[in-house]
Amino acid sequence: MATFFEQVSEMGVKQAVITKADEVVERLTAGMNISDIRSALRGDEPRRPNPRLRPHADSFWFHIRPSFYHTEVTHIYPTFRLGWLSTFMFVWETITGIILMVFYTPSPLVAYDNMWNILGNVPLGQLMRNMHRLGAEVMVLVVALHMLRTFITGSYKKPRQFTWATGVILLTFTALLSFSGYLLPWDQLAYWALTVFLSGAEAAPAPPELNANVLLILQGAPSLGAGGLLRWYLFHVLLLPLLTAIFFFVHYYKVVLYGISLPPGREEIGEDTAKRVPKDERTYFTPDILTSELLWTALITLFLTAGSLWFWDAPLEHHADPIVTPLHVVAPWYLAWSQGWLKLADKTIVIGFIPLLIVMFVVMPYVEVGKSRRYADRRVGLTVACLFFTAMLVSNWMGSPEFRVQSSPELEVAQEVMPQEGANVLLGVPYEYLQTGIYLPGEEISDNPYLTRALEEFEAAMQNHSCVLNGNPDMPREGIWDDCRELEGGRFGNDFGDNAMPDPFAALRITQEQANMVRLTLMFEVLDPNNPGEYLVQSGDSIYAFRHEGSFYEEECRFLNKDC
Amino acid sequence: MQVKVVIGTIAFMLTMIILGYAALREPERLEHFTAAREGRMVETGAKLYFDNCATCHGVDGTAQECYDSLGNPIDCQGLPLNNYFLVCGDTPARLEQTLFEGTKEQFIERTVSAGRSGTAMIPWSERYGGPMRDDQVKNVAAFVLNFANEELCAAEPISFNWPDSVDDFFVMETEDFVAAAGDPENGAAVYTSFACNSCHGNVDEAGSNQIGPWLGDIEEVGATRVEGETAVQYVYNSILHPNDHIAPDCATGPCIGPPSAMVQDLAFRMSNYPQYMVDLLAYLIGE
Repeated sequence: MATFFEQVSEMGVKQAVITKADEVVERLTAGMNISDIRSALRGDEPRRPNPRLRPHADSFWFHIRPSFYHTEVTHIYPTFRLGWLSTFMFVWETITGIILMVFYTPSPLVAYDNMWNILGNVPLGQLMRNMHRLGAEVMVLVVALHMLRTFITGSYKKPRQFTWATGVILLTFTALLSFSGYLLPWDQLAYWALTVFLSGAEAAPAPPELNANVLLILQGAPSLGAGGLLRWYLFHVLLLPLLTAIFFFVHYYKVVLYGISLPPGREEIGEDTAKRVPKDERTYFTPDILTSELLWTALITLFLTAGSLWFWDAPLEHHADPIVTPLHVVAPWYLAWSQGWLKLADKTIVIGFIPLLIVMFVVMPYVEVGKSRRYADRRVGLTVACLFFTAMLVSNWMGSPEFRVQSSPELEVAQEVMPQEGANVLLGVPYEYLQTGIYLPGEEISDNPYLTRALEEFEAAMQNHSCVLNGNPDMPREGIWDDCRELEGGRFGNDFGDNAMPDPFAALRITQEQANMVRLTLMFEVLDPNNPGEYLVQSGDSIYAFRHEGSFYEEECRFLNKDC
Repeated sequence: MQVKVVIGTIAFMLTMIILGYAALREPERLEHFTAAREGRMVETGAKLYFDNCATCHGVDGTAQECYDSLGNPIDCQGLPLNNYFLVCGDTPARLEQTLFEGTKEQFIERTVSAGRSGTAMIPWSERYGGPMRDDQVKNVAAFVLNFANEELCAAEPISFNWPDSVDDFFVMETEDFVAAAGDPENGAAVYTSFACNSCHGNVDEAGSNQIGPWLGDIEEVGATRVEGETAVQYVYNSILHPNDHIAPDCATGPCIGPPSAMVQDLAFRMSNYPQYMVDLLAYLIGE
C-alpha cells in the first residue's frame, strides 16, 4: 500500500486525509468504514457482503455479542432489558467507584473525614457519591428482577441451567458488593450494619473454632477496626469485582452460546429454537440492538443522574462509635428479610438457612426438569415463586423496627421526631426559626411555619404512643388521643399498639447553648397511675440534640429518602 | 429506530444539561457542606463537652457553674474556656503564657489530648491513655473555639480598674464596689475555686505545692522579694501581673520565666469579684 505521502502527491491533501481516516476507522471497528457506519445509523440496508458482521468476528468487544437475535426476544417482553441493564449497572458502579477511590483512604483515622471532603471539597463529589450509592441500590434491584423474570419465563430450564447457576452467584455477589461498600464511610450506619452482619457470621452452624476464625478473617482483629475496614475495602474494590467479572463473562458467554430463550408460547414444548433463527426473523445487532442498548443506556444514565441530584441522597451519619449503639439498627433493604427472620427464629438456624437457600436456587434447574416452559404447565412452580416473593416482602417488613422491636414509648417518640442519627423534622427547621422557648406538641407558632410543622409531627408521634386515662390538665387530649387499654405488668396500650404513655406531658425546649448553636430537648413526664407520686417516665434533660447555625439539615430534608 | 435515536439523543443531552447545571451550582454547594461539616463537628463536640468536660469547666464554659454526675453543685476545678484569653484573636494570651507556638486549634487539641500535668486535667486522647478518639478531640476543640463570638471578642475584657497600690485598693469606693474587711474563710474558698491550690498546694502543708512556690510562708518571704514592697503588695502584684517578678523557688526547682507559669488572666477573672481579692489576701497574708 502506498504511504500517506505518496497518497498526498497522488490525490491531493484533502482526499488523502479522507482515505486515511476511512482506513483508521475501519481498523478500529474491525471492518466498518465511515460510510458503513453512517448507513447503519441511517437504517439503510447493508451492502453485500454485510460489513456489519465483521466486527463480531474480528473485534474484541463485539465478539462477545451475537451478530443477530431472534426478533421475538428483541421486544420489551420477555427480557425487559434487565440483563443489559445489569451489565450497565456494573460498568456504572465501576466508573463512579474508581472516581471515588481517588478521594478515599481505607483507614478509620481518615475515612470519615474523606467522606466530608468528598461532600464539601470535591467538585461534583456529592453527585458522584450519590450516583454510586443510588447505582448500588438500583443494581441489586435490577439483578433481582432479572432473576425473577428468568424464573417466570422458565428460561432457567435445559440447556440454560448453568447460566442460571452463574446468575444466582452473580446476584449473591451483587448483594455482597453493595453491602461491602456499606462499611467504607465509617459512619454509625456502616459500623453497626456490619457489626450485625458479623454477629450473624459468628453464629453460623459450624464448630465454634471455625466460626471464630472466619470472624477473625472477616474483621481482621478481635474487634472491628482498622484491619476490618481495610479488608472490607479490598473485598469491595478488588476481590468481589474480580469474581463478579469472571462469573459475568461465563454468564455472558453462555447467553451467546445458547441464545436468549424465546417467549414460552412461541416454540414447541421441549424445543429450543433460539439458535435456529430463520432469515426473516433475524434482528441484527448492528444497528438495531446496538441502538436499543444505547437508548437504554442514555435513559438510565438520565434517571440516575437526575435521581442523584434531586431526589435521592446518600446518607452520612455520625462517625463510627463502637461505644454508642444507635436505636433501631436496620440492615439495608435487600438484606432486611434476614433481620426479619432473626426476630422469629434462632440465630444459628437462620444463618445456616441463608447459604442453603442459595444452594437451593443454584441446583433448582437441575431438579425441576419439567419440559414445558409454558405458564399453564407450571402452575405449581409459579405459585411457589409468588408465595416465596410474598414471603420475602413480608420478611422485609418484619426486618423493620415496627415489627417486634419497641423500646420505651418516649424513646420511640423521640426516634420519630429527633433520632440520634440523620436529618429529621426538628433539626430540619431552619436555624433562624428555632426560637428559644418551651413548645407543646401540636402547638401553632405564628410566623413560624417550620417549627409549627415540626410540632405537628411531634403531636402525630405522641398520638401513636400516648393514651388518655384520667386526663392531664397540663396537656388535655381527651377525644384526640385514644383511651388507654390497661395491659398486664402495669403497661398501657392504645389503638396503635401496646406501647403507650398514659396521660403524658411532653414538650420541646429550645435553649441557646452558644451564640450560634441551640439545644433541642424533648421532655417527657408520665406519672405512674398505679403508684401515686411515682414517675413512670421522667426523661429530664436526657433526650437532646444540638443544632448549629451552619449544619444545613434543612438541605438534606429535600430528599425523598430522608425521614423529615 | 429513528424514534429510539431521537429519544436517546434527547436523554443524553438532558443528562449533559443536568451535569452542567450541577457544576454551576457547585461552588455554593461546596460552601454549604464545608459549613455543615464545621457545624456538625461543633454539635458533636458539644455532646462530648457536656458528657465529659462540663463537670470541671462549667455548663457554659466559664467554670462558674459545675455539677457532679448526680446534679449536685460542686466547685469548678477547671479553667474557664468561654474566655477571651483562650479563644479570641489569632494568638490568645493563654498560648503565650504557656509558651505554646502554634495555632489556638492546635493548643486546645493538644491540651485536650495530652492533658496538663500537675492539674486535674487528664489526657483525654486514647493515644495517651484517655477515652477519646482523634476525631472526638477535634470535635471538642471545635466546640471550645465556637465560644468565640463577636460579643466575647469585641474588646479585651478588663472591667475593673485595679489600683496600683494595694492600700488604695483596700479603701476603694466606687459605684459598684466598696471594699469591706477581708474574710479569710471566704479567701480559703476562693483559693480553691480559682484553683490556686492545684499549683501552690495546701498552705497548711509545706511541700504540697505541685508547680508554683508554696504560699504557707508568703507572709514572711513576700516582703523580701521586691525592694520596697510589703508582702501584701507583692502578692497583690503577683496575682494581677504574674510576669513582673519571678519567685526564686518553685516545686521542682527554680521558677521559670518571664513569662511566668502562673495563670495570666486573674486580673480579668477576679474583676467581677474584687472582694474575693481582699478575702484571698486576708487568707494568705492575714490582713
